[in-house]
Amino acid sequence: MKRELERIEIPYEQGARERAWNVVQAAFADRLPVERTSRRLRPVLALAVVLAVVAAAISPPGRAVIDEIREAVGIERAQPALFSLPSSGRLLVASDAGIWVVQEDGSRRLLGDYREATWSPFGRFVVAARENELAALEPDGDVRWTLARPDVRSPHWTGSEADTRIAYVDRTGVRIVAGDGTEDRLLAAGVRGPIAWRPGAGFVLAYVTARDVRVQDVDSGRVTWRVRRAGGQSPIRALEWSSDGRLLLVLQPYGLRVYEVRGRVAAKDDPSDATQDADAAFRPGVLDAAFIRAQGSQSTVFWLATGTPLFSGTGEFDQVTWSPDGRWLLVSWPTADQWVFVRAAGARRIRAASNISEQFRSRSFPRVEGWCCAT
Amino acid sequence: MRAASDERARVRGAQRGSVFDLEALFRTHWPRAYRAAYLVTHDAGAAEDIAQESFLAALRALDTFDRRRPFGPWLHRIVVNRAIDWTRARRLRSELELSESLPSPERNETPSGDVLAALARLPPEHRAVVVMRYLLEFTPGEIAEALDVPRGTVNSRLRRGLDTLAEEL
Repeated sequence: MKRELERIEIPYEQGARERAWNVVQAAFADRLPVERTSRRLRPVLALAVVLAVVAAAISPPGRAVIDEIREAVGIERAQPALFSLPSSGRLLVASDAGIWVVQEDGSRRLLGDYREATWSPFGRFVVAARENELAALEPDGDVRWTLARPDVRSPHWTGSEADTRIAYVDRTGVRIVAGDGTEDRLLAAGVRGPIAWRPGAGFVLAYVTARDVRVQDVDSGRVTWRVRRAGGQSPIRALEWSSDGRLLLVLQPYGLRVYEVRGRVAAKDDPSDATQDADAAFRPGVLDAAFIRAQGSQSTVFWLATGTPLFSGTGEFDQVTWSPDGRWLLVSWPTADQWVFVRAAGARRIRAASNISEQFRSRSFPRVEGWCCAT
Repeated sequence: MRAASDERARVRGAQRGSVFDLEALFRTHWPRAYRAAYLVTHDAGAAEDIAQESFLAALRALDTFDRRRPFGPWLHRIVVNRAIDWTRARRLRSELELSESLPSPERNETPSGDVLAALARLPPEHRAVVVMRYLLEFTPGEIAEALDVPRGTVNSRLRRGLDTLAEEL
């Protein structure tokens, strides 16, 4: 029997071993008393430097540095429509007309009259919310199940191929339901803020209460850590995990915080009254994020880890979204009614598409709900 | 005997911060940890998560680890218990199972090997006992202690597991 068990071919063994060794090695480095200090300080210092660099960059002398990538209101050479995506995957877009799926070739399909949606972990399904309904759909719009709940918002789907959960918010608070629509239950009463699943094993959710940001294992109920909200009662716009689940970014207009998994602040930014942080997104696969800083009539996308600007323009940028491979950053630019795709890997390239609102039959500027999963 | 003292030296080295010793422990014990997790869960993704999380759990407890105890069984005990927990917690709510047209994870992840297929038909608790006894070479007493069940239960699960495997094969 021993020989038989040892002879069984185990799939993906080498890749699993290398990935695990990288994780174990990193965790080991963190626990070393001497190295831990320097390792932990490294991102803090790097991000602290960022903030100084950002401050310098948005000062008049600093602006000269980024002139070469600054655009006026819109990219002049933009395509008149979204003919294709620059990278593999599909977009999920929310407009006044409902939720749309945009294929790589630019074709669009309206899924239905929903106001928010996100992809399932492998992009095979979509979970969507309308006023009093949560629904699981196929990307062609077929409804798999629905759940009637009051004032549904912020659906998020996570898990492995074997087991998934959906978190969402309704009038009662944050709720959890299994991926097949069963076992719906209340996780945290009275909570209305943004929520975010931590990537990786297990079902760990970050959410915002009136007093703090909490990270909780939804199966065991254990609150892993919590931190008091910074920036008073200023609304928290977004929670964003790094793709390895090690860092949690909490975005407020006048206060950006990046926390390590135990709740220690790795970086913070408190913009002055004249500036605001509008959105931020961790780049897949690395501990770095792009974030939007708006000052007066100017918006700039910066790298969080180095403080270098990536793209700048006149007017409002309201959203940044990474392609699944982390090579392209989609910058939503309502003032120009454009989507700008900035290539962040290799030589800098920019592609842009205009007339975004019209293409999605929307008076307000459409919102990107996710860019998922090459198929 | 030599291997045991080598392993103690590696644990001591890792406790003192040697990445070299940690890597030696990892390279020695990862294959069995991953194999054991896979044989219990029959899911490569879950096995990777479980083996990885078990190493991290071991790492967190490394400073208090008693070096007189062997490292491997300590680690494997964590792995098997987590694999059983995962298997028990698993419900019929996979993303794949939402769509009748797609294969279930069980079918998707299960290679064609007869032993593996037969093993998959055992209840997870029986599977775990067989894996612990014959792959990880725990004694029935050690299995009973690791799984917190009576020794008689271990023996009966082993017996029934082997009988079922014999029938299947």
